[in-house]
Amino acid sequence: MQKNLLKILIIEDEQGLRESIEEYFTEAGNICETASDYSTALSKVNLYRYDCILLDITLPGGSGIELLRVIKDKNYTDGILIISAKNSLDDKLEGLELGADDYLVKPFHLSELKARVMAIIRRKSYNGSNLLNFNEIKIDLLGKDVQIGTSHVKLTRKEYALLLYFIANKNKVVSKNAIAEHLWGDGADMADNFDFIYSHIKNLRKKLVEAGGKDYIQAAYGMGYKFTDA
Amino acid sequence: MKLLDKYNRVILITTVVVMVITGVIYYGAISWILTNQVDKDLVVEENEVFDYVKLNHHLPQVFDSDDQQISFYPKPPGSVARQFINTAYYNTHDKGYESGRGIISSVTVNGKYYKILVVESKVETEELIRIIFIITIIVILLLLGTLLVTNRLILNRLWQPFYNIMKELRLFNLADNTDLQNIDTNTEEFKELNTAVINMTSRVKHDYKNLKLFTENASHELLTPIAVINSKLDTLIQTEHFTDRQSKLLNDLYGAAGRLNRLNQSLLLLVKIENKLEHNNESIDLRVVLEEMMVHFEEIFQDKKLNLSCTLGDKEIYGSRYLVDVLLNNLISNAIRHNYSGGNVNINLSASRLVVSNTGDNNALPVEDIFKRFHKSSGSEGTGLGLTISRQICENLGFELNYDFVPPDHIFTVLL
Repeated sequence: MQKNLLKILIIEDEQGLRESIEEYFTEAGNICETASDYSTALSKVNLYRYDCILLDITLPGGSGIELLRVIKDKNYTDGILIISAKNSLDDKLEGLELGADDYLVKPFHLSELKARVMAIIRRKSYNGSNLLNFNEIKIDLLGKDVQIGTSHVKLTRKEYALLLYFIANKNKVVSKNAIAEHLWGDGADMADNFDFIYSHIKNLRKKLVEAGGKDYIQAAYGMGYKFTDA
Repeated sequence: MKLLDKYNRVILITTVVVMVITGVIYYGAISWILTNQVDKDLVVEENEVFDYVKLNHHLPQVFDSDDQQISFYPKPPGSVARQFINTAYYNTHDKGYESGRGIISSVTVNGKYYKILVVESKVETEELIRIIFIITIIVILLLLGTLLVTNRLILNRLWQPFYNIMKELRLFNLADNTDLQNIDTNTEEFKELNTAVINMTSRVKHDYKNLKLFTENASHELLTPIAVINSKLDTLIQTEHFTDRQSKLLNDLYGAAGRLNRLNQSLLLLVKIENKLEHNNESIDLRVVLEEMMVHFEEIFQDKKLNLSCTLGDKEIYGSRYLVDVLLNNLISNAIRHNYSGGNVNINLSASRLVVSNTGDNNALPVEDIFKRFHKSSGSEGTGLGLTISRQICENLGFELNYDFVPPDHIFTVLL
């Protein structure tokens, strides 16, 4: 699926954040467009279709929620991920009820954002067929089953989550903090040192290699890991 | 000492003192008046003697009387000075001496000089004084008694508005949204007190609200720069080729940014809980939530080689799922974080309580401090807000969070 070009619209008024997201998502053929205010965003949404729209709630000139209403009223099928500084359940529920696909609270790791976007796109474009392929690795998303060639790889819940996270962020260095937060959420700060992330990754690598897969995971400067087929 | 007692004591002491003083003055005045009366009688008697001598040119005959005795003594001329004296009176009837009042005077009869002594009994006078005095004392005692009783009754009633205001104040909670009740009273002072108290509390509430608003706004404003720092760091590590030193620095930056973020989130959460902004109440099966959490933390337990023992009964509560998650997450992650490798964690859920206990440092934690904001053990990576938040959540849900140390276990109990 990664062969498909992604078309993504980033609606975010904070320049620093917008640029970071744009840079992170722009890779081999992906198209990223940006909008920093309500009217620009509205005109882009009315003109083009995107695989996924990253939507900030507080925008100059209007609310992201308004924009979401417009998109849904016109029955556009773009995936929508709300990125908001408001960690309020009401906002979240409102957004999801209006038809947003996911809700991510600022601040977030770009790798987390990417994983969420990939999940949305996967759901949108492969309706029903929940198979994810990465070279020789085949993943049945519904059965949470990983297969390499003919052999099934038995992964723990966290190892499975880790593998999906890596595939979504392939060719990117993913920091250990981002991994810990992805796997343990609020409890991530318990991993006072990230030694045990190392052991999870070691196990994952071992299992994949033993099942006949290539070793895609590289340690990156002691800061994180990179999943790459290069 | 209660106001009433204080007041009564003052009243009692002053009344007694005033009573004694007035008693003395009263006694003095009455005896002076009565003595004066007696003296007038004596003068009348003296004058009668003079008149008699003038008319008859000899001394009058002396008759015995019950209350008066006159006697004449020859004296050298000019040797007697006229004066009133207090003396003894011989009562011939009772054959005894009693107090008396006398006048000493002189008269010259046919060239002979006589001293006149007229003595009158003072018994009746003194009797009178005594009766008057006793009646006075009784009246004063009666007055004192009624004063005490009425004081007690009236003061209790008079001060009732005050006690009502006190009750309101005791129940006052800064975080509550209810205002103080206006106490119904027509006493000017209490009206003023009531107004002052209401003004003060509403001002305090207003300030507190502002402070909270400030915290909330500040935390919100911080979110964006933190998000930018985070995303820039994520972007930075995509640029290849770091030296060991650089990657160490970046790691530290990540760590600090993560902590800043957690701190900020905790502050926002605290404000939210205090404002009671979580309204999405639902009924929650605590056992299911705890079991899910155990699975979530499974690897961490394994990795830290912690022995986990769970006894989970069924318990359903009603509240915000989000807050319950935060509470349980805090309690369990504390039990993990402040433990040592190979230690124990016990989680016990019954209908009345949830107990999370863990081994750890061998000293009890300071109970008064651990629930305060930003209190944390040295070397803790936490925000120092976890237990504050936990307690707030418990209060919000109507539970109670307590800490106990029974070596070697640190025990946190939520009374459900």
